[in-house]
Amino acid sequence: MCGTCGCADPANEVSMTDTATGQKVILNGGHGHSHDHGHSHEHHHPGHDEPHTHGPQGEVIPLEIAVLDKNDRFAAENRGWFEGRGVVALNLVSSPGSGKTTLLEATIRALAGEIPISVIEGDQMTANDAERIKQAGARAIQINTGAGCHLEADMVARAARTLDPAHGSLLMIENVGNLVCPAMFDLGERMKVAVISTTEGEDKPIKYPHMFRAVDLVVINKIDLAPHVDFDENACRANIASVNPEAEVLCLSAKTGAGMDAWCARLRDIVAADRS
Amino acid sequence: MHELGLARNIAAIVREHARGRAVREVRVAIGPLACVERPALEFCWGLVTENSDIAQVRLGFLEAEGDTFVVREMEFMEDA
Repeated sequence: MCGTCGCADPANEVSMTDTATGQKVILNGGHGHSHDHGHSHEHHHPGHDEPHTHGPQGEVIPLEIAVLDKNDRFAAENRGWFEGRGVVALNLVSSPGSGKTTLLEATIRALAGEIPISVIEGDQMTANDAERIKQAGARAIQINTGAGCHLEADMVARAARTLDPAHGSLLMIENVGNLVCPAMFDLGERMKVAVISTTEGEDKPIKYPHMFRAVDLVVINKIDLAPHVDFDENACRANIASVNPEAEVLCLSAKTGAGMDAWCARLRDIVAADRS
Repeated sequence: MHELGLARNIAAIVREHARGRAVREVRVAIGPLACVERPALEFCWGLVTENSDIAQVRLGFLEAEGDTFVVREMEFMEDA
């Protein structure tokens, strides 16, 4: 199995790097993936007392257990932990290269001295993004998922406890650049925010409807490039509305700063709503 | 690629609830909005269970609504 799935490959290690100390911790090495910690189910009765029927072949027992049950339980714990500490966590999802990290850098600078921000960076390899966040002036933890295509709730739990975010602060979770898998994995965030960029075209929302259905807010980045790449903003908004009529849409350029005021105002609202 | 992780989760649920008894089939219910590809999950189930203690366990599928994605039931082998 290992040869096929890459389990034994060192590239499949999930690690966490704290940019403040440079310390790197392996969250799961090679085998024994994060879901196999052996946390026992609370409904584990001794003996044989589950309701059951006898099918034509053998005994059938109903289970009704969510396949992502373990992740969901970690996510619920995270959600409680964030609420208890008055921390607002946002899960940023996008394809690679949409400008999530640039948006975070600009946001950290814009809200400096006003709202403390800490960042969990998810990428398969390198701590480049966490270093960029650190340079921008915020505390950052890099998670490297190895072969993994998304962050999971237990990784976020470990990183959040190391970051120890302050009361009233924002915790930005920059997910692995991928518009497919992160949609399925609840991390315990307040909301998912999708970032798309004008260079990707208007039809990403209808190509990846699961992701755009899962988010509350869509940021259209690189709006300064729109005229150069024939980006049709109205068509993009219509595509977003067709898969998720409730989603809020903000257009901005993290590079030029256009539209950043509205984004920062929205973040202030989210944090203020949490405090009240 | 996340189907591999999902197959591992299903395998963990089977092991936990089988408690050593031989299982013939585990049946998962998948809704149309669950974002799960049956052929990919089936393929990964083969990889995850191959040469393991649950190699004989078949993966069955049941229809469901919305984004349902649960391990619905498990069928044991007839007791010898």
